[in-house]
Amino acid sequence: MDNMDDLIASLSKEVTPLKPAPHPLRLGLKWLAIATAYLAVTLSIFGVRPDLMQQFIKPVFSAEIMALCGIFIASALSAAVLSFPDLHQKRALAFAPLLMFALFVGVMGFAWHADQPPAPLPMHSFECTLSILMFSLLPALAIFNVLRRYASTHLSYSGIAALLFAFSTGALWLRLYEATDSVVHLIEWHYLPIMGVILVGGWLGKTVLKW
Amino acid sequence: MQCSLNGDAQAYAALLKETARLLRPFLAKRLYHGNEVDDVLQEILISIHKARHTYDGERPYLPWVYAIARFRLQDHLRSHYADELHGAEDIAELEETLPDELTEAAFSYESISGEVEALPEKQASILRLMHQEGYTAKEVAAKLGMNESAVKVSAHRAYKILRERLER
Repeated sequence: MDNMDDLIASLSKEVTPLKPAPHPLRLGLKWLAIATAYLAVTLSIFGVRPDLMQQFIKPVFSAEIMALCGIFIASALSAAVLSFPDLHQKRALAFAPLLMFALFVGVMGFAWHADQPPAPLPMHSFECTLSILMFSLLPALAIFNVLRRYASTHLSYSGIAALLFAFSTGALWLRLYEATDSVVHLIEWHYLPIMGVILVGGWLGKTVLKW
Repeated sequence: MQCSLNGDAQAYAALLKETARLLRPFLAKRLYHGNEVDDVLQEILISIHKARHTYDGERPYLPWVYAIARFRLQDHLRSHYADELHGAEDIAELEETLPDELTEAAFSYESISGEVEALPEKQASILRLMHQEGYTAKEVAAKLGMNESAVKVSAHRAYKILRERLER
């Protein structure tokens, strides 16, 4: 018990005025604003696909982009909430990306069935995965760096949400940049490899976000 | 907590005491040995201290505290069972990995050994045993005839002194 009193005395001696962390919604919106600016800048440099406006008329393409945006927004807010030990007492928000992900899988399933006759496969393949990886690296590093300043008690899930946020930015960028409509190509070289990388976020979270 | 965020040391000490009183039965129900309860409780208080910027005083305090307590308890149980599982591991294998982990720190023990030697004798011995010889807090406690919590508290104070001296 003496040790406990000593520890309390020593910790309370260290206490200095401290600015509380911002509200997770504010934090998440800030990340979203930065990632959107990054997306806008890179799209203005590399350009958008030439048929973008015509594509938005197609319900499948619009639904896919909206579902990706849903994942992008939900994962940013989820990562922000997960950086607090008690999830800022907003548990539902922390698990919102699961719902968005299910919606996205549904949209892709619908796109698969609607792809009749199948759109021709592009000439390239793994270059898309590499492009998304390169694009997402910067947001991934940035968000892990910020998350390390907080105190997550759900390390694996935090890591997954952080990578989901970073890679949904990359997936959105490539979808708006590359004029490819083959669902087989999208699933094989855009989304499935990304899902694999995102699962690594579980391990990364456990390793990097320890406090 | 609101007062402690404003830097009120007395309010903070009272809050930590009350939190320790609340958490003791929670831990006692889940841990077998009394000294384990003390150790985990100290870990939790240190974690509360580290994470206090994530509490804004506008939402209930207890869910925040219990989230940290559960997290540290799980950590403790995980390492406890991992220790048991790896109990039969060859010590030579551990010797190969320990120095690598130590060199991952911002600076090595050797580079600050002068500062460590300037600490009070007991604290210097504890740091020497833990960081130069590679003993765990439990082994240091057995070697010096202290209990494990006292070793951790002493090491915590030594780190604080070292940090202040090195930041100067």
